[in-house]
This record gives sequence, C-alpha cells and structure tokens, in this order.
Amino acid sequence: MNHAIVLAGALIAAGIALGGGAIGAAVGDGLAGNATIQGTARQPEAQARLQIIMFLIIGLVEAMYFINLALGFYFITAVASGVK
Amino acid sequence: MIFLAEAPPGTHPTVSVCGAWYCTFNYDSLISSAIAIVITLLVGFMVAYRLSHGVPGKLQMLFEFLIDYVRGLIRESVGEGGSFIVPLAMTLGFYILVANWLDFFPLARPLLHPANADLNQTLAMALVVIIVVQGYSLRVLGVRGYFRRFTRPFEMAIPVRILFIPLNIIEEVAKPVTLSLRLFGNIFAGALMVFLISSLITALAGLIPSGGLGTGLGIVLTPIAEALLILWKAFDIFFVGSIQAFIFTLLTIIYFGMAREGLEEEGHGTHSRPASAAVETGG
Repeated sequence: MNHAIVLAGALIAAGIALGGGAIGAAVGDGLAGNATIQGTARQPEAQARLQIIMFLIIGLVEAMYFINLALGFYFITAVASGVK
Repeated sequence: MIFLAEAPPGTHPTVSVCGAWYCTFNYDSLISSAIAIVITLLVGFMVAYRLSHGVPGKLQMLFEFLIDYVRGLIRESVGEGGSFIVPLAMTLGFYILVANWLDFFPLARPLLHPANADLNQTLAMALVVIIVVQGYSLRVLGVRGYFRRFTRPFEMAIPVRILFIPLNIIEEVAKPVTLSLRLFGNIFAGALMVFLISSLITALAGLIPSGGLGTGLGIVLTPIAEALLILWKAFDIFFVGSIQAFIFTLLTIIYFGMAREGLEEEGHGTHSRPASAAVETGG
C-alpha cells in the first residue's frame, strides 16, 4: 500500500514537472521566435545571422526541458525499482 | 524490430576491476566513446595528412571554415592570447558531434549506448573545461584579481559586493553542473524517446488481434511506426545533437571570456568587456 502511494506520488510529480517544463520551454521558444521575427522585419538582410542565434537560444531553452524529462524518468525508474 | 531496446535507458551494464565503486566501469559507454574517439582521430589525421596549400578538398574546407569561426568567436569574447582555446574547444565540439551522430545507427543496446547519455562522460568533459578556465583566470588576473572577481558587480559599494560573494561562488559551481547536465539531458532524453516510441509500438501491436485482419494491419502499421522512429531519430541526432555540440563549444569559449572579467577595470587590458554577458546564465 505504502509502495503504491510512493509510486503514484512519483508519477504525479513527474507529470507536474513535465507540464511545468513544457510551459516554460514553450514560452521561451516563443520569445526567441518573436525577437527573431521582429529583427527580420526590421532588417531583412540580417535574417541568416539571426536564425543561427535563434536556434542557439532554442537549444539552450529546450535543454532545460530535456534535463527535466531525463531526470523525471530517472527518478521514476529509481522509485519503481526501489519499491519492488 | 531493430531499434527496440531491452532495458530502459539509464541502466548501464557494469564491469568491476576490483569490486569497489571507484573502479566499476559502465563498459557500454566506454566502448561507444572509444569508437567515437577512433573516428574523431581518423578524420582529424586524414585532414592533416591530405593538407594542401593549393585548392583544398571539401573536408579541409569545412575544417578551415569551422576553425575560422571558432577563432573569430574566441577573438570576440576572450581577446588576444586566447589561441590556446582553439584546440580544446574544437576537439571537444568535434568529438561530441561525432559521438552524437554515431547514435543514428541502430546500436546493439547492451553493448553500445549513446556515449553522451552517460553523466560520467559529460561531467568529465565539463570538469576539464572548468579546471582549465579557473587556471586561465588565475594566470590572467593573478591571485588577487582572481578572488576580487568573486565580488562582482565591481561598480557597487563594498558592503553590497560582500553580499554578492555567495552568489558568485554558486555561479562558479553551477557552471560545470549545467554544462554537463545540458548535454547529458538532451542525449539521454533522445535515447529515452526512442525507447518510449518503440515500446509504444509493441504495446499497440499487442492490442491488434492476431490472424486475418490483424496480421494485415500489423504489416501496414509496422513500417509506418518504424518510419516515425527514424524521423524522430533524424531530428534528435542531426538537429539536437549538432546544436548541443555547438553549444558546448560556444559555452566553453564564453566561460573563458568570463574568466577574465575584471581585467579591464584595473586598466591592464585594451579590450572591451566580453559581449557574452547576456548569455551567461545559460541554463
């Protein structure tokens, strides 16, 4: 019974972490895209350079989410193997 | 199914030399990183062997372009005297790129494993970078300047700067942690997604009734699922993998740039502050 509660708690926590991380990553990606569009509209000739920077920022932003995903799964498997 | 993983990612088969924790090795990571190292060295020596001053080959052109780019980045954020960073940053970036791209091939799972999906390896690379960065900071700023750097921001009053010391220490400690966790998390999550997609496929296959219509459905669905898997793998390896290799290189250079902060205020340097301050949190 105790183990089931621990496992359920771990799964819910992973769900919350993934959801929150997804919100943050999406907002960050949107901000990067917004700034790139504004910069391109102002200076169309800078588009190629801005795109490189945009992908760099997106890589940095999404890294947080992927760390979230990886560690969340890590903790779930640790809890699941611990309660068996 | 060729991509199907037996064990979830994150569990490594280990081999122990003497039985204690400090000589237990994840041999899957060792084998795959050895393959990546061999390929990195082979490509490097091939370029060096075929080096020509005349019309360069395609590979040499690519390498010259990359080295020029890295050199430009270092000139912008570190300034003069930073040319020793070029080999370090280029080697790390190229090795990470090769190690990430190797994951595109279906790896024999218990034996091979995406090399960077093991925290031990990424942490080792990050520690090497940070140790060299701290050594460079000590050499450039001197002992006094090195410790003065922990009282940033310099333009504040002394009591405020003392309050900032713990924050600066945390920032220094967080650098190797985020540098290693970023690469590890991305590659590990990629391997995890491959595992989840392929286990989803087997779960779906279990739902389909066998015989007659079910077999036909399986014949139709399996190639679609495998194509999806290959599509995800291509995105994960060639987009995420390349960007992470580039980010690791870039952050290495930026950390070197940050390591000489405080040099300008004392009037030693002629260079403006590194333009990297905006990226310094970096996740």
